[in-house]
Amino acid sequence: MGRFFTINTVSELICLLIALICLVTAKDQVWRYLIVLLLLICVTELVGISIKIKYVKELDYLKTHPNFQMTVKPNVWVYNILLIFQAGFISLVFYDLLMRYINSKLLIIIGLAIFGVLYVYELIQHGFFVKHNITTTVLSVMFVIYSLYYFYELLKDSSYVELRYSAEFWWVSGTLLFYFGSIASLIFFQILAKLDPHFEVTVPIYKILNIILYGCWSYSFICRRWLTTTSKS
Amino acid sequence: MANNDIKELIIITTLIFLLAPAFLLLYIFVYNRRKKRHIEEKAQLKMVFDAELIKTQLEIQEQTMQTIGVELHDNIGQLLSLTSLTLNSIELDHPDKAQQKIGAAIELNLKSIKEMRLLGKLLHGEQLVKQGLEEAIRSEIGWIEKSGRFMVNYQVDGEKGAAANPDKDLILFRITQELFNNVIKHSRAANISVKLSFSAEDVRLLIIDDGAGFDLNDLPETQKGMGLKNIQKRAEIVGGQVFIQSQPGEGTCIEIGIPYP
Repeated sequence: MGRFFTINTVSELICLLIALICLVTAKDQVWRYLIVLLLLICVTELVGISIKIKYVKELDYLKTHPNFQMTVKPNVWVYNILLIFQAGFISLVFYDLLMRYINSKLLIIIGLAIFGVLYVYELIQHGFFVKHNITTTVLSVMFVIYSLYYFYELLKDSSYVELRYSAEFWWVSGTLLFYFGSIASLIFFQILAKLDPHFEVTVPIYKILNIILYGCWSYSFICRRWLTTTSKS
Repeated sequence: MANNDIKELIIITTLIFLLAPAFLLLYIFVYNRRKKRHIEEKAQLKMVFDAELIKTQLEIQEQTMQTIGVELHDNIGQLLSLTSLTLNSIELDHPDKAQQKIGAAIELNLKSIKEMRLLGKLLHGEQLVKQGLEEAIRSEIGWIEKSGRFMVNYQVDGEKGAAANPDKDLILFRITQELFNNVIKHSRAANISVKLSFSAEDVRLLIIDDGAGFDLNDLPETQKGMGLKNIQKRAEIVGGQVFIQSQPGEGTCIEIGIPYP
């Protein structure tokens, strides 16, 4: 049971709990969708861990072989499914945030189309049980671009927003820090898969990134529920 | 070793990739604080401008009341007193003379009515500014000319575009009033030339008199504060500039340029 409670799952579960408390009554439907996304993330993590536990003995056995190379992880397919929901839900939130400044429909549709093409390409290339690394990398770059564009518009906007209590600002900040920070690990993923099969380097990096992401998101939800004030001019 | 190098490279790259957005967020916070300060300063300036505008309106009203008071006392009051005297002196025993006096009284009464009408127009001074700066200044000049002490040459150059700025009109009108007050009180001038020019970017008002003139550096501090400083301050509030040229015995030339609209 203890194996289910890692830094990642605990931070995700806390964020889900805060989202449930803060966003259930949110007037904006897009924010309520984030509860669904967080629920899916938590379920994926728990399913991923349970699969890992189930196959751990088999893996330990395989690792004893000198020529063992872990190119396929047994629970990767769950994360590959999650990727679709992440792309959809996060794009939707960005669509809503950017819509305040520009007609973001086309931008988001193009982003999702690129994602779809790459996802199918990788599916054909190596199937469902290998991490869709190119798709994940491109998706991260896209979210970074959306975040930067949001900040650009925020700076350009003549009206003043109290950023300390701005739910939108903290949500985008968390997203930017996570996806920008993870780009290095994603780029070197192929090399790392060979050199560091247990991902000893990237696991702590992702733990830190997850704490940053879910910390920012949780604070953003709190702001959304209790602290957010509308833009003041 | 190569493995460790790659791992170090990934950690360093990740750190850089985390530090870059962190600095970006810090910059956004700093910029946002500056934006807040700028908005507060703008609000403060707006408050000052609004207060000045109200003060200007009150001063115009006060000036109007003063003119009305003077007119009632010196002009209409005199006319009505004269009418009363004329009517009192009528002797009904001499119908011819009585007829003459009644005619004179009627004439005096008509003159009073005419003066009253002019005062009525003055009461709508603010309304006059709304109709246009040119007309408001023309009306003001009409009152100056009525005294018979000054010859005023008024010229309007160019045409005011469709976009008007009533606040600036009001302030410029009040400046004009203050300048006329100065001319009447201190200049001992006989001729005044007033030129109002409109261009695409600004409106310029030029007032030249052939009066006593003054030395700008020798002007007493109290006089400066009351008149010219006020004019300068008002012009600056609407982003304008005042140029004063004067020498004792050589008259005065004052030009005011205000960005318009």
